Amino acid sequence: MNFAQTLTQSGLNAFLASGGIAPDPLSGWFTNSMLVAFVVMAVVLIFVKLATSNMSIIPNRKQNLLEFIFEFLYGQVEGVVGPKLAPKSFPILFTIFVFILTANWMGLIPGVGTVGFGKGSGFLTIDESDAHAEFHPLLRPATADLNMTFALAAVFMIVWIWIVVSEVGVKGFLDHTFGPKGGLTGFMKWALVPVFLFVGVIEVISIAFRPVTLSLRLLGNIFAGETLLHTMGHLGEILGFPDWLSMIGGVVFPLPFYFMEILVGLLQAVVFTLLCAVYIQVGASHDEEEHH
Amino acid sequence: MIALLAEFNLAVVPLLAAVEVHGAAAESSGGIGDAVAQFGFQWQSFLSQVITFLVVYFVLNKYAFPPIMGMLEERRRRIADGEENLKKIQQQLAQADERVGGMIDEANREAERLIADARDSASAQREQRIQSAVNEATNIIAKAHEASKLEHERLMGELKREFGRLVVDTTGKVTGKVLDEKDRKRINEEAAGQIAL
Repeated sequence: MNFAQTLTQSGLNAFLASGGIAPDPLSGWFTNSMLVAFVVMAVVLIFVKLATSNMSIIPNRKQNLLEFIFEFLYGQVEGVVGPKLAPKSFPILFTIFVFILTANWMGLIPGVGTVGFGKGSGFLTIDESDAHAEFHPLLRPATADLNMTFALAAVFMIVWIWIVVSEVGVKGFLDHTFGPKGGLTGFMKWALVPVFLFVGVIEVISIAFRPVTLSLRLLGNIFAGETLLHTMGHLGEILGFPDWLSMIGGVVFPLPFYFMEILVGLLQAVVFTLLCAVYIQVGASHDEEEHH
Repeated sequence: MIALLAEFNLAVVPLLAAVEVHGAAAESSGGIGDAVAQFGFQWQSFLSQVITFLVVYFVLNKYAFPPIMGMLEERRRRIADGEENLKKIQQQLAQADERVGGMIDEANREAERLIADARDSASAQREQRIQSAVNEATNIIAKAHEASKLEHERLMGELKREFGRLVVDTTGKVTGKVLDEKDRKRINEEAAGQIAL
């Protein structure tokens, strides 16, 4: 087994030792990632409450930050969906962006995924003196939980359906999906109807898979980052360093990856949001607009 | 790049391996449903997360977006008003500059006219004064000449009378004769006639 395989296997072991990709239940079906999701919700709502209290033309720092995010994102969304759809689609996209960004970055706070109970390593771990006991983190990144990412995607798809139907109607959507495109007329239009029907079926399947792709992309990236940080944190032990050096390595080795994960957290929030914006634009665009 | 590759290797491979492990477990125990369950999907957790996100969405939608949009719109309106006012002020400033320039030109023209008028007036007045002075001087000279002439005549009259009296006295003394009034008159006239010559 070479070094890379050793690392991979060690990372897999670390991942499995931390309970795997599934969140740990804290009480019944209440999981550690749900706890973090509540914290994320509280953080977002408290910050927004503070930022929108006593709003003034000359903003304070919190209001300024919120307005900066708001205006930046509105510009991005307006650039994708256009000025007509932007007011209708912005609330869900803004909420998605802020929620995912907060959840991603809260997952990087030291202690999330590493503080818990059960079998583990390090002098701060509570050993339950059970050789088969597993480590159960008290907190897990909310977006490293399929339930959370799929919930985000599902809520978005419901809002997406509402926006599309209210914008182009059911008939417009069906025409747009299954109807002939490219302004065809006459014989060619009817000759290509089966092709466009087949393309429409593919499009419907593609739409049906959007929640899956959206949720798994976010889950995979955030979970990969979490696993990477865990692996880097245990790198000293994996390489057989002395305990004191492993402890220092546990702080030093993950450090560069923390900065990268900060960027990844932002990037994934942007990717998720902009993909949603693109889906809205594609679904709610009118045929006459496409012909232009 | 090496770090990214390492991350891919370290992060994605465990995920794929995990999926493979869970997939194998799922195949052995019951298909996609079990595979999804192996990823930790639970309806209760899922619905809880949906509710969590919906709470954030509805609260932001109801309480955060309207004031923020209103504030941004208010600021945009104020900026637009400011720009509009700035244009108006610049136009007014340009008009005021133009008006001030016109007023300055008008004032310059008026000042030049006043200066010219003053210069003309001063010149005319000077001429008038000079003329007046000349006239006055002429009058004074004429009066002086008149006075001098009158004085000369008066002196000449006195001289004639004195001369006549002297002639009468001298004649009387030389002739030893008492002259009567008729003689005196005759001698005086003769003497005065001599002086007039």
